[in-house]
Order: sequence, then C-alpha cells, then structure tokens
Amino acid sequence: MTVASAAARTPASAIETAALGKRFGEVTALDGVDLTVPHGTVLGLLGHNGAGKSTLAGILTTLARPTSGTARVAGFDVVADAHRVRRRIGVAGQFAALDDRMTPRATLVLLARLHGLGHRAARARADGLLELFGLTEVAGRTLRACSGGTRRRLDLAAGLTGRPEVVVLDEPTAGLDPVSRLTLWEVVRGLARDGAAVLLTTQDLAEADRLADVVAVLRRGRLVASGTPGELKARVGSRSVTVRPADAADTAHADRALRANGIVAALDPARGTLTVAAASSRQVTDVLRALDTAGIDPGDLTFSEPGLDEVYLALATGHGPDAALDAAPDTAPGTAPDAAPGGPVRGAA
Amino acid sequence: MTAVAERAAERREQAPGDGASVPAQIGVLTAHTVQAMLSDRRLLLLTLVEPLPMLLVFGQALSGLARVPGFPRGVPYIDFLVPALMVTTALQSGLQSATRLTDDLGGGLISRFRTLPLWLGSVLVAQSAAGLVRGLIRLVTLVVLAWALFGFRSRGGPLALVLAVAVSLAVAWGLGWLFMLLACWFRRGETLQAAAGLAMFPLMFASNAFLPVASLPPWLRAVAEANPLTHGVTAVRALVLGRPALPAVAATFALALLVTAVTAPIAVRRVRRTE
Repeated sequence: MTVASAAARTPASAIETAALGKRFGEVTALDGVDLTVPHGTVLGLLGHNGAGKSTLAGILTTLARPTSGTARVAGFDVVADAHRVRRRIGVAGQFAALDDRMTPRATLVLLARLHGLGHRAARARADGLLELFGLTEVAGRTLRACSGGTRRRLDLAAGLTGRPEVVVLDEPTAGLDPVSRLTLWEVVRGLARDGAAVLLTTQDLAEADRLADVVAVLRRGRLVASGTPGELKARVGSRSVTVRPADAADTAHADRALRANGIVAALDPARGTLTVAAASSRQVTDVLRALDTAGIDPGDLTFSEPGLDEVYLALATGHGPDAALDAAPDTAPGTAPDAAPGGPVRGAA
Repeated sequence: MTAVAERAAERREQAPGDGASVPAQIGVLTAHTVQAMLSDRRLLLLTLVEPLPMLLVFGQALSGLARVPGFPRGVPYIDFLVPALMVTTALQSGLQSATRLTDDLGGGLISRFRTLPLWLGSVLVAQSAAGLVRGLIRLVTLVVLAWALFGFRSRGGPLALVLAVAVSLAVAWGLGWLFMLLACWFRRGETLQAAAGLAMFPLMFASNAFLPVASLPPWLRAVAEANPLTHGVTAVRALVLGRPALPAVAATFALALLVTAVTAPIAVRRVRRTE
C-alpha cells in the first residue's frame, strides 16, 4: 500500500474501542468499554464525576495508556501509532490548556506552526478561527486579562487548528454562558457536517439531547447504555400520566385507591399531583378507572414523555427504574449481552 | 453515509501534513520562547541592571584580595573578578531557563502539546536555545558595564573576550540542561529554586571564582579543584588575562558537552512521560 492511498483511505469508524480498560492500582476507571463512533457523528458521553469519562477521553487523545483492550482513532492504534493519532485529533478539555501569558492570536499561530503550516498559512488559519469563535476583538489581549468564556472558546479553537478528523471535547461547555454555549454547539454540529467525528463528554443533559446523534452512558467505568437520545428515552419507562384531583383533599384518597388496584404512584403533596408510569394507553385507562370507581374527579390530566433526565437517573446512578432496564429485551444487534446476572444492559451505537 | 465518508476523506486531505519536522518544531518553539522572554519588559530591565550591584559590591569589598598570596601579580581585582562574574552569570542564566521551564510544565500549554504531533524534547531544546540568547544578553551587559564604569579591560584582546563569552555560554548550556532535568523532576519553581540555592552557594564560593585557589585551606582547595565551575572560571580568566588558555577552554567545553549528554536524554524522557 502506498503512502498516498493510506492517507486517502478513510476507516469505517473514526473511533473504535474494544474491551477497553484502565486500572489505577486497585481502582478500575474503565472496564470493558466497546464504543464505535462513525465519521460525521457526535457522540455524547454521559456520566457522573468519576464515571470514567475523562479517563476515556484521555486514552483516545493519547494522554493515557489503556491497561487492557484496544482503542483506534482515525484508524490508528492510540498506543502503537500515537503520533499518527495526534496529527488527526483535536482536543479541548475541562481545563483550558493554554498559556496565560500569551494572546489568543499568538496561541493559535504557534499551534498552527507546530502543525506544520508556514508563517502566512498559520496566520490565516488563526484569523479564521478567531473569527469563527468571535475572538477577533480580544485577539491581541493577554489571556490573563480575558474572561473564562474567552478562554474556553480559545481552547476549543486551539483544538481545531490542525483540522482534526476526530475531535474529543471533555465537558467543553461547563461554566460557559448561554451565548457562548450556542456558538460552541453550532461549531460542533458544523464539524460533524464536515465529516468529523466528535466525542463530547458532558453532564448537561440538554446539551447531549440537542447535540448528540448518539448518547452513551458510563457508570463506574462501564458503558451501561448507548443509542440515540430518542431510543434511550423510549427504553426508560415510556410515558407517564399525572393527575391532579380537582379537590386537593382527594390526593391522599386517590393514592390509596390506586394502591388498592396495584398501581404505584409518585405523590407530590405540595402540588397535589400523582404521577404514574404508563407505558401503554391500557395503563392510563386503568388509572382513570380506579379513580372513577373511588368517586374521585381526576381533574387536571397530563401526559409526558420522559426526558434524558430520567434516562440519566436510571442509567448513570443505578437508581431509578433500573429493574425495568435490566429486563429490557431490546439489546441492539451486534453487542454482547452482559454476562453478569442482574448487571447493566449494554446497548450499541 | 457515503457523502459523510467523502467529506471525511476530504477533511483528511486538507489536514496539514505530518506536523512540523523536529528541527522546524525547535525553530518555532525557540522563536516563541525568545519572544516571550523579550516581551517581559520588567524582567529584561532587571536583567540589564543586575550586574551593577555585583560589580560594585564585589569590586569594592573584595579588592583587598588582590594582596592575598597566590593572586596574579599586577592584575587589578576587577580583571580578576569579571571572569568569575561571567561564569556565575552563566550559572544563573541556566537556572533561569529551568525556572521558565517549570512555569511551562505547570501551565496548560504543555498538556495541549502532548496531544499534538510534536516531539516533546523540542520544548526542552527550544528552552535551552533561548537560554543561550538570554545568557548572551546578560554576558554582554556585564562586560559592557564593567568596561564602561569599572575600568575592566581584556588583556587578551577582543577576540579572547569573544571566546571568553563563548566559554561562559557553554557553561550556561551545560548547567541549563542539568537544571532543566531538575525542573522535570520537581515540576515546581519553588522546589527547583530551593534545590538550586543549595547547590549554587558551594558551586560559587568553593571555587576559584573570587579567590585564588592557593589561598584556600587545603580541604576547601580540594573541593574547589573538583568543582566544575573552577574549570570554567580558569578558562575565562586565562583568556581575559591573556594567558595560555587552550587546555582549560577545551576542558570546559568537554565538561559542558558531557553534562548535556548525560542530563538531556533523561530530561527528555521525563518530560515525555505522560503518566
């Protein structure tokens, strides 16, 4: 194979990990993670602090070595071919990786030069990025004198100086104001449209919902689910119905009536509401019949789709309707069923 | 999906080559480091006036030393002193490179460098090259001030003086790598300064820098003769005083090369370690 054809070859997946694991002494930070991110896709990686998100980001960006399994980025192994991986990735992190004494323009020019661009090309690249991220006005100011939002935007711009085909963003919008966040979202979507793969760790569910084509949830180093936001929502107890009896005094009465029919409701005494998970319309009918039999006017009746919040609570914490998830039959094709009895369900992208 | 694959391939082709070559990286980073150094006006100003108090205090307080046994006859103390200050300036210049490196290692940019197609040793080589520029500025300042205000003259002529500056720079280079290795170990400027302070005092004073070795008590004389700084001072002093200097000059260059050959690879390995 010639060098030219190797360069033109586009691997099937931009990011591919197999049974990826990372231990720090006794602590297992990542455990058997299988993840696939195609080009043109934004993957949102959700999880609590300490779930392993940053460890995974670190391995994919060659900052840390896995202790088991493999990871390939842009078709290259992150350990054996780290140098080739580095020239194809862009990174922006939780902590802006910048020099406080430098100006935004000088930072971007320096990085572009290190990527191999000549003087003029580097300056043009820097100007383009400054423009894209709305940094032109502060381009000549020392970073020390710049706001946190400016630094975060510059950090992301710095990650894009090499026109990466794989972009890893570790909580890029933490602490950003809403306007900066929108700018960043637009840029991320633009990258994916341009064929780049983006892996984005976040704790912000709205961000994952808005931005990610695929969401993966990490819990204690294990990938407990992945799928489109819609698929995940569908898997966590589908819809719910909320009733607010016309007479607030009836709330407790209604709760007893439902219980008598084997229906468990979440009671919110402050609002005087009862919420019941109702996957099918049949279950909605059951609720109404039970109330009617007890002579209670259901009053306000609302249906709601679950948000990513519920998904996250169910998956990332291990609390919530986990039992329902474990019983979920819809493990996507191409993934190994979890061996551990009662263990978490693993989905596929 | 094919459209995406096409755009991905296009993106791949637009990406700048394999990153800059190692010499190009070193060039870019050296220019960057020198520029950062020169843009710190206050530091630059301090550097330029720094030799004054040393010349004044040492020149006045120690001038009586010209009468101690073993002091070269007919040599004004200032001509004896300036070579010593040249070598200690080189020492401090090396330490400054290392301090600067701890700043860089502690800052965020280095972690970004780790994700770039970059040989991290370039950062050290660039720092060390910038250290030569810094050393040159400080040495020239010292010599000019000593000449203009304190009557210093190079008895070996201007060429010998240029060579003396080069020998001092070799000392700065070698010690710069030694201190940079310490910087890679300690990572923190404060720890580095403490360690360097510990080494600096005996290096400077248990040597022939300010006193002829012959005037020292025997045990200290043994220490001074083993002190690598003594070789540097001997070489620079012989050049400035117009005496035969070749063996000492060769020994100093060899010593500087040896220190670099031993410390540089270890420092590079340490800085490249990711975890």
